[in-house]
Amino acid sequence: MKGGGAVMRRLFLFLGILFFTSSVFAQELEYNKVYTPKEGMSAEDIMRIKYHNKYSLYAKDYQQTPIEVLYVDPSGFTRKRLAKRLRIIKAGQEGISYKDLVVVTYPTEVKGLAILTWTYLDPEKDQEVWLWLPSLKKVRKISASEDDDAFMGADFTVEEVSTRRLEDETYRLVGEKDFEGYKFEHTGQLKFKGIPCFVIECTPLKPHWYYSKRIVWIDKDTGGNIFEEYYDKKGRLFKTLFREWVWTDLGDRKYQSQISLECKDLRTGHRSVILMRKPIYDQGLSEYEFTVKALMRSRW
Amino acid sequence: MNRILIFIFLFFPINVFSTQIGDNFEYSGYLKTEVWVKNYNDESHLSLSSFKNTFDIGMEYKLSPSWTFFFHPRYFYDVAYDIRTDYNSNFDKNQEKMGNTQRTEWLRDFYLDYISDELDIRIGKQQVAWSQADGLPFILDRVMPFDLTYYWLPDFADIRIPLWMVKVEYSPWLNSTLQFLLIPDFEASRSGPAQSLFAFKAVDAWDTFKGINKSFGGTAEETIYRPPKQFKNSRVGIRWRSMIGNLEYTLNWLYGYSTSAYTYIDSFTPIFGSFGHYKVSRRHKLMHVMGFSFNRSFVEAGLFEGLMVKGEFAYVHNEPTYYGTTGSRKLTEQTDKYTWFIGFDKNLFTNWVLSMQFAQLITDDKTWDGYQVLSSYTYGVMEKVENIITCKISTDFMHERIKPELTVIYGDDNDGRAIFKTKFEVRDNLWFTLGYFHFWGPPYGSNGMFRNNDHILSEIKYTF
Repeated sequence: MKGGGAVMRRLFLFLGILFFTSSVFAQELEYNKVYTPKEGMSAEDIMRIKYHNKYSLYAKDYQQTPIEVLYVDPSGFTRKRLAKRLRIIKAGQEGISYKDLVVVTYPTEVKGLAILTWTYLDPEKDQEVWLWLPSLKKVRKISASEDDDAFMGADFTVEEVSTRRLEDETYRLVGEKDFEGYKFEHTGQLKFKGIPCFVIECTPLKPHWYYSKRIVWIDKDTGGNIFEEYYDKKGRLFKTLFREWVWTDLGDRKYQSQISLECKDLRTGHRSVILMRKPIYDQGLSEYEFTVKALMRSRW
Repeated sequence: MNRILIFIFLFFPINVFSTQIGDNFEYSGYLKTEVWVKNYNDESHLSLSSFKNTFDIGMEYKLSPSWTFFFHPRYFYDVAYDIRTDYNSNFDKNQEKMGNTQRTEWLRDFYLDYISDELDIRIGKQQVAWSQADGLPFILDRVMPFDLTYYWLPDFADIRIPLWMVKVEYSPWLNSTLQFLLIPDFEASRSGPAQSLFAFKAVDAWDTFKGINKSFGGTAEETIYRPPKQFKNSRVGIRWRSMIGNLEYTLNWLYGYSTSAYTYIDSFTPIFGSFGHYKVSRRHKLMHVMGFSFNRSFVEAGLFEGLMVKGEFAYVHNEPTYYGTTGSRKLTEQTDKYTWFIGFDKNLFTNWVLSMQFAQLITDDKTWDGYQVLSSYTYGVMEKVENIITCKISTDFMHERIKPELTVIYGDDNDGRAIFKTKFEVRDNLWFTLGYFHFWGPPYGSNGMFRNNDHILSEIKYTF
């Protein structure tokens, strides 16, 4: 019996240690809380925080108006889209993580096109997507886009902007380095030179995916993925993605926000830029703004 | 030519204005030139079918966060009727109707909006769409009248004839809405006049018959009875929309005068055979439309992941229906009809979208007094159950700068049409569209009647 008790104690101790170490970071992060990465965290925990920030799960709601999307071909010819975006964080209520509404405001040809998206908490589930189609003046439920499709025709894929989840990849911490800096071609400015980062290698679980791995630089301060390098099956770098993460000071609290993105396709020389003003957070958006009825209010 | 110059004149000054004036006023619009070319000639149509210039502007003024006023006029002029001198007399006489038909629909929107969480009200001239189907207007899309001058080829938002109405959307709870429509206004659906570009075979046949009848000394006195625009003649509609899990559904009911007019022979005094003195009336009848629709996305991992399934059913009570023999209408009687469709959307190969639909139109009384049910477009004999399949494939290239799509609508008796359209974004505010419309089928098919009427469309659109 004594020997059996020692075994049990060791088992409880083992389970206790296992529980303690895993419960600190590996559990789901709480909604409406701000997290930043810390020294000693695993690659997966750092990425978990990154996703928490990416989908602004620290906030109750947010609004970005306008969002400017630029498509720049190698000759410099540029096309532009303007949109506004509203998001409400459902924090898992009714199985939903968050709801998004994007309304295109420019150019006129696509003005009024509105996309309502509900994202489930369950990473196995696709999004629910409705469109308001100005040419038909009606709402149309559509099937979720393929994750590797271009997002609004840009160099970003759908998953890079809105659907990729923590569970889609495996992670390895490559090291901790100071970032060399990124020359933001849109303005010519050198961004984030010398800031300390975690460097993480991410490998997709999906077979035959459009990239074989990506190297992600995570800003230690904000936890934002400031730079990503995408490699093809032969290990060649084919795309880079820069994201400018900053702190938005709300007085009593600070949130991490993306204010610009630049994605370059190194094979074609085409790049896409997204420019945003600092978002408005926690203004008490009504969930009724994220319904089909709200889509039908469109006048264009 | 003066009118072309007016368009050119308008083109430039608008360019210099911004699209938003202050925080409350916003406008945008376009100037468009579209050219329709028939791909080969026949007796009544030569190459150039239409050279249409359109000016469209929408203006929105926010009175407060809850109240908004919206004004949206449109004007067009078809230059083809000026620059061509070789139209035959039949075609030319329709210039008045086809060249710049504005009537009441020049005003596309003119309404006041009130919005709140639970209650939205839109009062004024507007359009409402109920159907979830693509390109199948005969199921639940029956609230608005349609202008079929160009058949069903343009975007539906452009061919619905707007009506003055009150639309109330009340949400007793989130994601559930009761829509109530009160439509005191009345406009009739219309098709192209006889011998025009997409005139229905039935319209042409009647026009031809009148000519022959006249040569035999006969007459045809036609009277159109529209429902008087009185409050008591208002149409009413109710739609309940809600969700069960991620199954979204609607229940629909519409009551009032049909937007389509139906032909009745009130009296006939024969001279010789079927020739003689006719008194013909076109009447709109009271009808009930009841139906439902649904859609569901398969979001769970598995075989159906990414599939979006949708469907719709409508029961039409007492719809006037033609009976007769091929090419000859004998009776107009009221019968019930059932229409439904089921369809799905699926993304394939990254950025290719496939959308398919299967629909049926079922007429309760296939025969009446020994006569068979007829198509109102062609007076061709119809089956009790008519089947239609549609297939649409769309994709994009060059970062969505080029967007091609192919739509095929295929019905019974090998009757169908294929529409290929591709849009090219020259610049943010300059768009070019190229399209081809191909028809095939038997002469009395609803598409087959246009089997010698394939068209190439090119369109340039400047937006502001």
